[in-house]
Amino acid sequence: MAADEPAGVAPQIRARRARLDLTTPGLLGLPLGWLVVFFLIPISIVGAYSVDALYLSIYPGAHPVTLDAWRDFLGGSEDLRLFWKSVKMSLIVSGLCVLLAYPVAYYLALSGTKRKYVLLLVLIAPFLTSYLLRVLAWKVILGSQGVVNSFLFWTGLRSPDDPVSQLLYSRFAVMLVLAYVWIPFVALPIFVSLDSLDRRLLEAASDLGASRWQAFWRVTLPLSIPGVVAAFLFVFIPTVGEFVTPSLVGGNSGYMYGNDIADLFNMSLDWETGSVLALFLLGVVAVLTAVFARFLQVRQVAAG
Amino acid sequence: MSDGQDLMERRLSREDLLKLAAVAGGAGLLAGRASTAGAAVDRLTAESGRLQVLDWVGYEVPQLYGPYLKKYPGEKPQFTFMTSESNALAKMSAGLEPDIVRPYVGYVRDFAESGFVQPWNPKLISNLKDLNPFMVKAGQYKGKQYGIPQDWGFDAILYRTDKVKPKAISWSLLLDERYAGKIAWWDDLYMLVVAGYYLGIKNPWQQTSAELKRSQKLLTSRKHVVKLFWSSETDMQNAFAAGDLWIAYAWPADWVAMKNKGLKVRYVHPKEGAISWIGMLMQGKDTPRPEHAHAFVDAWSSKQSGTWLENNYAYGHANTLARPTSKDLLRALQLTNPNALKEPNAHIDRYIPNRQEYAKRWREVKAS
Repeated sequence: MAADEPAGVAPQIRARRARLDLTTPGLLGLPLGWLVVFFLIPISIVGAYSVDALYLSIYPGAHPVTLDAWRDFLGGSEDLRLFWKSVKMSLIVSGLCVLLAYPVAYYLALSGTKRKYVLLLVLIAPFLTSYLLRVLAWKVILGSQGVVNSFLFWTGLRSPDDPVSQLLYSRFAVMLVLAYVWIPFVALPIFVSLDSLDRRLLEAASDLGASRWQAFWRVTLPLSIPGVVAAFLFVFIPTVGEFVTPSLVGGNSGYMYGNDIADLFNMSLDWETGSVLALFLLGVVAVLTAVFARFLQVRQVAAG
Repeated sequence: MSDGQDLMERRLSREDLLKLAAVAGGAGLLAGRASTAGAAVDRLTAESGRLQVLDWVGYEVPQLYGPYLKKYPGEKPQFTFMTSESNALAKMSAGLEPDIVRPYVGYVRDFAESGFVQPWNPKLISNLKDLNPFMVKAGQYKGKQYGIPQDWGFDAILYRTDKVKPKAISWSLLLDERYAGKIAWWDDLYMLVVAGYYLGIKNPWQQTSAELKRSQKLLTSRKHVVKLFWSSETDMQNAFAAGDLWIAYAWPADWVAMKNKGLKVRYVHPKEGAISWIGMLMQGKDTPRPEHAHAFVDAWSSKQSGTWLENNYAYGHANTLARPTSKDLLRALQLTNPNALKEPNAHIDRYIPNRQEYAKRWREVKAS
């Protein structure tokens, strides 16, 4: 075959292959470099702090490498209990978000309305304002003289001397604000998975005698599960390490694992323990993501 | 070697000297005029860039360093804010290099030993002679003047007189079950010191592990009465003004702010003794602007700045010539009492040797 090729073709192919060989590392180089510089190296530094291989200059003296901070943390510390408390809060928030966002996404995707993308835009409109502003707005709503209490005073259900004070600076406030902030993130992946649903399956279910509820339960819901799982993770991962919202509306019971990490770095100057807590969180989130991705095939969300 | 020479040497690095030589040589060749070279020398030896100040929110207002702006018009310092001394140390450990930072007296030793600050040259601070000698001494560490005292005041209790009927003027007000959900604690390990005083621990600043456990247990058991742990004074003031809080661990400025909002409030020193403090301006170790830094601290030390601070923030000022306009304020700040900050009138903020254990215990109180 090579004998039939005109002279000069083989070198051209070789040159093209060489170019292709260079293209792959060229394309991958930037993201890989980014990953190394802004993820792997910082994580390694945090890892070094966690075993005291690196330490703050304000603590001079001998610093042998030690796993003490890891042992203290995993040995049933208050920090570990706080982690599970934060996981519980995040699970509730994520579940709540999915429950609230699913009907909205369902309506937008399957109701056949022509204005679904306009409505979708309305849904994500709060994202056009700053995160901080949206959280602070809840202080105005939930405060002792806020919108909710003023309404209760107006209706006579509560006296101005006795407002509902548990609304703000509480665990309830943290979960409410987090749910509000993350709902659009949840609605989007569910909308995508429902919007790409093959409508003929619903018609077939109907032809075979399924009621609307049965069609939803046996067809729509199972097919939208990858979107639901992705949505759940979208909320769970950032909220389990959240610290801004609890700092602003948390009070005495809304203190979360993320606040603990921030305090260790900023207030206690205990970067060793802070690094342990940060790496543990990273590890748990990575494992959870891998498990969900492996068994529930989140990739289907993109594939539709 | 004179102090002026010290500064000159610090400012002129080898690179600067080479530039000077080049400019001077070039100017000589081109114009032969000594004045040109002199101007170049002035330009290159002048400190450049805005003064970087790591300070507490509220202290960025120009009235507090007016003479500095007069000396360097158009060179308003650039402020970064700290929420506590630990927060400042964390920022500096992470690479922030301020020219000026303001820890309080209990942290003089921590900062001096941290390697992030250097002593001042007292001869370059003309107003130093008017500062309270006791406070000036409190800013020294190993015989060197690391801190120049400025603002001072108390950690005490602020409460609404129309809502709260105290059984006793004591730190117990911060633990009072009758006002559960209306109380604010400061988000700082000093709460353990307060608990120590309340429990009658012999030295609340150097509690043993067993004593710290007792203090922690007390705070944990009363945590449910707390509405807010405040780290930002503004947050606390907003919550207090909105009626979410009736009792708070507070500073004198909070009392003034709430009075100005028309609330019926009292600011009281508990019978166990308030905690007193003195703000210390410190100079960053490798500051490239030592002259500006000295001018800034001198401006803060002036009678003019001190009077403004007292009138507007209700904090005392180390300048003994500064006096507030209001006699009420004069009395409330005990400005005529030379021992206002000292035992037994108040417990002055001091070095805590096992600060890390205090910090750990305080975190555990919040996490519980």
